[in-house]
Amino acid sequence: MKNNLLLATLLLCFQTSIAQSTKVFGKGNIKGVTVNASSNASNGIKTLMSTGYMPNPKASSRFLSQATLGPKLSEIQGIQNQGIESWLDSQFAMNPSFNLQNYVQNMHQSMVDSLYLKNPTGNYTLSNVFIDDWAFDVAWFQANMVSSDRLRWRVSLALSEIFVTSRISAFDNNPYALASYYDMLNKNAFGNYRSLIDSVTYHPAMAVYLTYLNNHATDTLGTKRVFPDENYAREIMQLFSIGLFEINNNGTEKKDINGKSIPTYDNDDIGNLAKVFTGLSWSHSRYLGDNNNVNDWSYTKRLKFFPVDSSEKYTRWWANPTTWRIVNGHEPGSKTFLNQTIPARPLADGELDIRDALDIIFNHPNVGPFIAKRLIQHLVSSNPSPEFIDRVAAIFNNNGAGARGDLRAVVRAILLDPEARDCCAEKENTAYGHLREPFLRYMNLINGMGLTNQSGIYRNVMVDLYDRIEQKPLYSPSVFNFYQPGYVPGGPLQAAGKVGPEFQMLNSLSFSNYMNALHKWIISNDPVEYWSIFSGEFYKSDQEPRFDITADYILAKDNRIKEFLDKYNLILAQGRIKSENMSIIQNVLLSMPITFDVNGVPDPTLADRRLRMGIFLIMIAPDYLINK
Amino acid sequence: MNRRNFIKNMGCGAMGSTTLLSSLTSLGALNGLTTFNKNAPGEDYKAIVCILFSGGIDSFNMLMPTGTTVNGDNGFSEYLALRTDLAVAQTPASFLALNNPQCSSFRGQTCAYTAFGVHPQMGGVRDLFNAGKLSFTSNIGTLIEPILTPNEYRNSLKKIPLGIYSHSDQIMQWQTSVPQSRDALGVGGRMADLLNANNANNGISMNISLAGKNIFQRGQSVSEYSISDNVDPNNVGLQSFPSWWGNQGLLQEMRTNAIDSLVGQTYSNLLQKTYSATAKESMASFELFKEALKRVPTITTPFPNTSLASDLAAITKVMSVRQQLGTKRQIFFVNYGGWDMHDGLLGGLNSKLPVVSQAMKAFYDSTVELGISENVTTFTISDFARTLTSNGNGSDHAWGGNNMIMGGAVNGGRIFGAYPKMDLSNLNSRNISYRGNFIPTVSTDEMYAELALWYGVSPSDLCYVLPNLGNFYSYSANNYPIGFMNFNQSPISTVNHPLDCLTY
Repeated sequence: MKNNLLLATLLLCFQTSIAQSTKVFGKGNIKGVTVNASSNASNGIKTLMSTGYMPNPKASSRFLSQATLGPKLSEIQGIQNQGIESWLDSQFAMNPSFNLQNYVQNMHQSMVDSLYLKNPTGNYTLSNVFIDDWAFDVAWFQANMVSSDRLRWRVSLALSEIFVTSRISAFDNNPYALASYYDMLNKNAFGNYRSLIDSVTYHPAMAVYLTYLNNHATDTLGTKRVFPDENYAREIMQLFSIGLFEINNNGTEKKDINGKSIPTYDNDDIGNLAKVFTGLSWSHSRYLGDNNNVNDWSYTKRLKFFPVDSSEKYTRWWANPTTWRIVNGHEPGSKTFLNQTIPARPLADGELDIRDALDIIFNHPNVGPFIAKRLIQHLVSSNPSPEFIDRVAAIFNNNGAGARGDLRAVVRAILLDPEARDCCAEKENTAYGHLREPFLRYMNLINGMGLTNQSGIYRNVMVDLYDRIEQKPLYSPSVFNFYQPGYVPGGPLQAAGKVGPEFQMLNSLSFSNYMNALHKWIISNDPVEYWSIFSGEFYKSDQEPRFDITADYILAKDNRIKEFLDKYNLILAQGRIKSENMSIIQNVLLSMPITFDVNGVPDPTLADRRLRMGIFLIMIAPDYLINK
Repeated sequence: MNRRNFIKNMGCGAMGSTTLLSSLTSLGALNGLTTFNKNAPGEDYKAIVCILFSGGIDSFNMLMPTGTTVNGDNGFSEYLALRTDLAVAQTPASFLALNNPQCSSFRGQTCAYTAFGVHPQMGGVRDLFNAGKLSFTSNIGTLIEPILTPNEYRNSLKKIPLGIYSHSDQIMQWQTSVPQSRDALGVGGRMADLLNANNANNGISMNISLAGKNIFQRGQSVSEYSISDNVDPNNVGLQSFPSWWGNQGLLQEMRTNAIDSLVGQTYSNLLQKTYSATAKESMASFELFKEALKRVPTITTPFPNTSLASDLAAITKVMSVRQQLGTKRQIFFVNYGGWDMHDGLLGGLNSKLPVVSQAMKAFYDSTVELGISENVTTFTISDFARTLTSNGNGSDHAWGGNNMIMGGAVNGGRIFGAYPKMDLSNLNSRNISYRGNFIPTVSTDEMYAELALWYGVSPSDLCYVLPNLGNFYSYSANNYPIGFMNFNQSPISTVNHPLDCLTY
């Protein structure tokens, strides 16, 4: 019944019947739409959505605003011909195209080489030449300027805000740690969730961030009163997998007979799971607790397991071996959490505890709806309907080929879901869409304005950008991300019982900071921040490009200004800025001076100002800021 | 201020004036004619400053027992035995001694010790305490109703806060004081709902945040105005167009008008509505705030160069133009984070506690300079305290802990509540874990009720500010929730507001 209704709605908003002769479909063109299941309500939607549907420009732009870090005009045009499904297929077929860690290391090497050239006796090496964390940002930006696997980078950004690690930590100036972690997210973005949590768990950046590196078994011998660190045990369950309360497959909370939420775990579960994550140290460690010889690259290698703490063999090597205190590194015995028990096993096999624990977490029924909801919130909408979550969680639970946790299938299901694609979802759900997070707005602008240069090499440290908008990859203030998925802003959303996660970053100060950042990027035409990588480096101005809108100058004429605004409304705002607002912006532009040469060509300086003012105002309009 | 300056200021304020702005200018001028920045005798001004230590401060390494009397107050030895490698010092003499803190008892729980000291890096706090300007509340935390025994907790005989030990829940509940709900408004916001009308001018919210959006300051009708610690009129609102563009003034006006129009449109989508509401309010506030800041006097109290001190210094500056802002009641919110010390605890405290201590001392001194030290009360909150036992090099999430209240109207130099015994045996009616996690003795409700009564919330309005308060306290004359405020200069308000009690 529900499906029937949905189908009916869908048809209504396409303003068409299923008759093949109709030319207009979802306000777009159709090429060879095949409808073979319209009589089967449960599959009808899927058929309509998936076969031969060619999106119109606005629909293309809207899709790309969910599936990439910001549409480019060429992509909007491309997808109109290629179709959404085929584009997704091609994106999924691409392997990760850009290795951040390699790029950081190449930059590092070029620093070393350059210093060597200047001073051949300086003995410069990768180990003694310092490279700061902004090298990661340069690499990240470069990757996004040149990579064609755009969907992967969109998904990995979302993952970086779910499986949060951050440079506000012990590795605050280590670009290798950041690059290696992000490469890992890229690698797993279309893989299996089970592999992802394995890779996250064994990554040193996470182990340092959530303090389970060198985590030790319970030790209460003599005067000792030391217990396993509970940090990761808590956050892997609360934030990376199942959450605090039991949920149904559609994401709604289960209730007990008194109508109360049911906690997924208690503090005993935490204490037991904490025992599991004991015995892990750096790959090069000689013993559990070894923090010697830690360098930038230590953060790029998978953790090593130590069943026994033999540290005194190394730290008290001079003493009689019979006086060495050799104790458990990994906690022995069985561990019970989430109502399941990991059996006691020989200490040497203790690492299997970690495997078992991740299996238990992975198979908890909360994971599907939990991860589905978070990814939907990042890619599409803050308040997905329970039905939307249910459909995506079902794919998480079983990708159709019997596999659980297939993230590729999950991403596909999200982006092809009627609620993501349907032109009219917003009409039924007044809380549809999400506030674009500040960093996405920046990448929207970079992509939308087609920023480019001759060399194809960009050096953008994004330091001033972070100071202004307080967001860039792997710079979260805590493991709770820049904003929390359940955040409820005051006002109409709260009254309606809806969330607005990204609103946690919006306030009077961040609002003016954003406007002033736009001013810098657009009005002052300074969107990229170039820093030298070694002192005395020759400035490569090409690597610090600016927005070139000279081709649009002709549109600065009074009678063409609407064309200009429509173009950027389409690219930046998916054509969603309403006509009243377009008029407001247009009137400002028309009241700015413009002169023409004898051939009727607008004065470049005046044209430039008009157009920049237009883009600035588009990016402040509420119908740009909310992507719906 | 003499008449000439008055006129000059008028002229200054008239630049780019709007209706709101003009009224602000005249208000400020009228109020400020003779008492420009200093507190006039009897001036009805009160401010509350909430300092959040996000991450969960290990407050049993901030305030420690120091007794070493075998079979008597042997607090330090008990502390040392429990905290092992997390003990801040091996001898009690290393702690900064507090003079006769009079720690007594609370709701049947007796204070376990008599002698106390603070962390060696907290000289400023020690000085404030011993000068009677600062007190502690001990074993305070989130509660829905009193929990008197571990049994009541273990068998859920009493209501337990949602998500205890979880950062996100506990940090929220300390700000809402409604631990059974995840949708509650903030305590500061609810107080502002009641008292906002006392302010002559509402162009700028009475709730000002140095930490952006927060739950504490969110009320039904009031939300926070966020500012940066760089309190400078040139740092407020929109940046100017480049001078070479020409017609700067006109362009700016056009742009401002356009933004006002864009955010002033009617939107049906709730996210758009929410965004435009914030944008609209912000746009309306920028000019008012900018103009007020032009009157900030020179403040001579030195502040250290730390983020917390800068935030508190910014608050001093804003309070110095309270009359220009037309406000009698303000609530400030600051966050100084980084306390989730699962690792590196001792070093972490050594680097952060001096920042806290120095900043608080400087802030108190600056309120003395402004003549409003008795009008400003500052208190600290945090997600939770931390386990007493070690995880190797740090501590994990726990529950009840210790906080500070500072100001000229505070009954300073005392430890209120009941400091718990450093004991994990069954004899300790506070402990519920082998790690050392204490059931709070004092509820956040009681702390906030005391503050609210001082701040001017009438006893019958308390149930709007603190929906659970009835589980802990009911008002009667001269019977205060905890006792840390001095009400001599602050008679209990009899002005009731027509807001119904809240229930969750």
